[in-house]
Parts: sequence; structure tokens; C-alpha cells
Amino acid sequence: MAKGNIIKKFFASGPLILLYYLSISELDTNLEKLFEVFSLNLQIIIIYFWIIKRPNLMGTGHIFFAGLINDVVMGFPLGISSLSYLIVCFVGNYVRNKSVNTTIASDWFTFLIALLFANLLFFSLLNNFSDVAISYSKIGYNTFFTLFLFPVFWFLFHLYQLSFIGSQDA
Amino acid sequence: MSVSRDDFGIAFRSALLQRGATQKFSIFSLIIVAIIIFFLDIYGFTAVKTARSFINDVVYRVTYLASAPTRLFPGINQGVASHFNLKKENEELRKVIERYKSLDLNLEYISNENKNLKKVLNTENVESVSNIVLAKVLVDRNSPFLKSIIINKGSKEGIIKGMPVTQNKYLIGRIVETNYLSSRVLLLNDLNSRIPVTFDEKGTQAILTGGGTRKPTLSYLPENYQFVEDVTVFASGKDGIFSAGTPIGKTKDNGEVELFVDPNQLSFVTVNLIKPTKEVF
Repeated sequence: MAKGNIIKKFFASGPLILLYYLSISELDTNLEKLFEVFSLNLQIIIIYFWIIKRPNLMGTGHIFFAGLINDVVMGFPLGISSLSYLIVCFVGNYVRNKSVNTTIASDWFTFLIALLFANLLFFSLLNNFSDVAISYSKIGYNTFFTLFLFPVFWFLFHLYQLSFIGSQDA
Repeated sequence: MSVSRDDFGIAFRSALLQRGATQKFSIFSLIIVAIIIFFLDIYGFTAVKTARSFINDVVYRVTYLASAPTRLFPGINQGVASHFNLKKENEELRKVIERYKSLDLNLEYISNENKNLKKVLNTENVESVSNIVLAKVLVDRNSPFLKSIIINKGSKEGIIKGMPVTQNKYLIGRIVETNYLSSRVLLLNDLNSRIPVTFDEKGTQAILTGGGTRKPTLSYLPENYQFVEDVTVFASGKDGIFSAGTPIGKTKDNGEVELFVDPNQLSFVTVNLIKPTKEVF
């Protein structure tokens, strides 16, 4: 029984572990060696999906901390990734409060809003308060591929949820 | 109408302020904390800078450990593959050729310099590179926005901001952030990288500009300049940061420069302990 609980807890922590691992490790979702313009912000997809589906698995304190780690590793000013992740959380929370039942299509549409707000804040802060210059085309590609691949990850995370966590949404 | 506005207000407030059963902090309070941290870091006070430097050292080490599996598995694959198809021998021979190429490039540079009677290059202020520090690449995270690496040597070894970083005597970038035990190197292909360079027999001067892509481009060239392929590009040393004559790459006919060192394949680099004569950043 206790063993079963530990395994259950481990699977429930999976999304959070993945979020931390993506923030702290060298593992990246920027496959420019294969396709020069391809880059993806998987952290935002993870946060949005799990905030909508199972907010109890994705603590806001953890999201904030993962953002800080991401800033240190990437060399961005501290707090900027946390802010953009928290904006995604906020939009996710709002959508969850307002909607009774969500589908992949409704999640995809509302994810666009979350992504736009988060990226707008991230790049306007970086542009106005930091010396770091960033290519606008890269931002565009990153936003496009993150949005475009959202349904794929939605499906994968949904499968994970059904298989290891349970089908009931928040 | 007023009901829907109320609904919006309730949902908005709830999303911002409500804490769930397992949430210890509200999003609003964390946003405020993040904003404070952001501005403290941007308008860095000494205490904040010291704290950040300490956090950087710790996080970079953890990142290095956490990334061990991602480094290990490709390594194993490569090892097995090379064992079966004799790739290793080929690689070693390539390294020997690279070393000879490097010597050849230095010769090319010196002869160009003599042809121009040292009129083009302003080399009198350049100090000799006697002190170098060999550093291991701790983190090589391929960000879509910033092209940089973290090395395992910092201010403890005398590294300061602006110092040039090379691999096999080829320039790869410069130090932009130093911590006590680690440093961040801005690579030549980063959007923020600008290097004064010289190339061809006329000693043409230009700025090598990173674009966030694999190949940086040459800009601020003489009017109607026609690019010739396969001309070696060297650091001109005019900025007082990089040693004049450090080879960088070969030109392409579209103005791009194919770097001698692939920025995605760095494992050990050399930091040249030259004090920059001009302020950087």
C-alpha cells in the first residue's frame, strides 16, 4: 500500500520534475542543428497544461523557483522567466475559473493568449531594462513553434494524465 | 451587463489572489517578488551582485551534474559507432591537420601584416599572450536567444570581463560574466557580439557581427566590396580586447563567416589573461 502511494506520488511529481529538469539541465528544445529556425518553449506548455488540468501538481512557488533557475542558466536578468511563467499561470487559472469543460481546441486558443502575454512581457522587459539584444525573428519562430506544437504535447500530457495520474480534471 | 463584469472581476481576482489547497503563495505575491528581484538584478547593488555570483556558481555546478546523462548517452553511442567503423583514426588525423592549418593561418596573417607595412593594424598596444587558463565547458545550453557557454574558471583564476576565449588558437568569444568559480563566455555568433576584424591581402577592416545564427556576418565594409570565398578572417585587435591576428574563420561569398570552431561542439577552451585596454559592456 505504502509502495503504491510512493509510486503514485512519483508519477504525480513527474510534470514538476520535468519542469525543473528542463530549467536546470543542458537539455534544450532548440533543435537548430537540424532546422535552423526551430526552437520551442516547452516549460510554458508544461505549466499551462498542468495549471489547467491539475493545478495541485504544479505549485506556483515551484514555478517561480524554476523560472529563477532558468534565468541563471540562460544568463537572463533574474526574475524575468519567473514573471513570464507566472503570467501563464495567471491566464491558466483565469481560464479554469471561467470554463466548465475544456477541450484541446479551447485550450489551444487560450494558450495563444497566455503565450502572447508571457512573451510580450518577457521581451519588453528584456528590451527596455537589459543590455541583452534579442532577434525579433527568433522570438517569432519560438512563439510560432510553441503554439504550433501545443496540441502534440497536450495529447502526450493527456495520455500521461490518463495513464498515471487519473482522468479527473480540476 | 453588470453581472458579467462581476463575473470577470471575481474570476480575475480569484486567479490572481486565490491559493489552492497545496499552493503556499498567491500568483500576485510571487509576481511582486519576481519584479523586485528583477529590478534589484538590473540596477545591481554590490550585495545583489555578490549574491547572484554565488547563486550562479552553485546553479552551474548543479546544471553540470544534472546534464551528465545527456552528455553520457551521446558519448556512449559515439564510442560504439567509432569502434566499429574506424572513425577514431580518422578523427585523430583530422586533429593533426587542424593543428597544421592553425600554424599555416598564423603564417598567412604575418605575411599579410608585412605586406601592409603594419599600416593597417594597430598592434603596438597588444600585450603578449603569456598567461592562459585552460577551462572546461560546464554548461552549453543551446538557447534560441543567447549563444553563450559557462566555463569552470572564474575570478579566482584572474579572469575578468572582456578577456578573449579561444580553442586551438581560434577565437570563439569573450568573457561577459565572471563569478568566483565560473564565467560566462559570449560566443561570436551571438546577436550581442561585435568584433573588429581584418582580412584579405589589402587588410580590409570590418566588424564581425553575430546574428544568433550559426554563421556571423561581416558588416561596415568598404563601399561595393566584393566578397571572395575562403579568405581567412582575423581579429584586428583594434578594440584593445582581442589579440591581433587571432584566426576566426573563412569568408563565404554572401558575407557570412564560417567559424573554424563549431560553437556547439566546445568542451575545453582557453582564456587568454589579457587585460582589456578599453572598457567592455
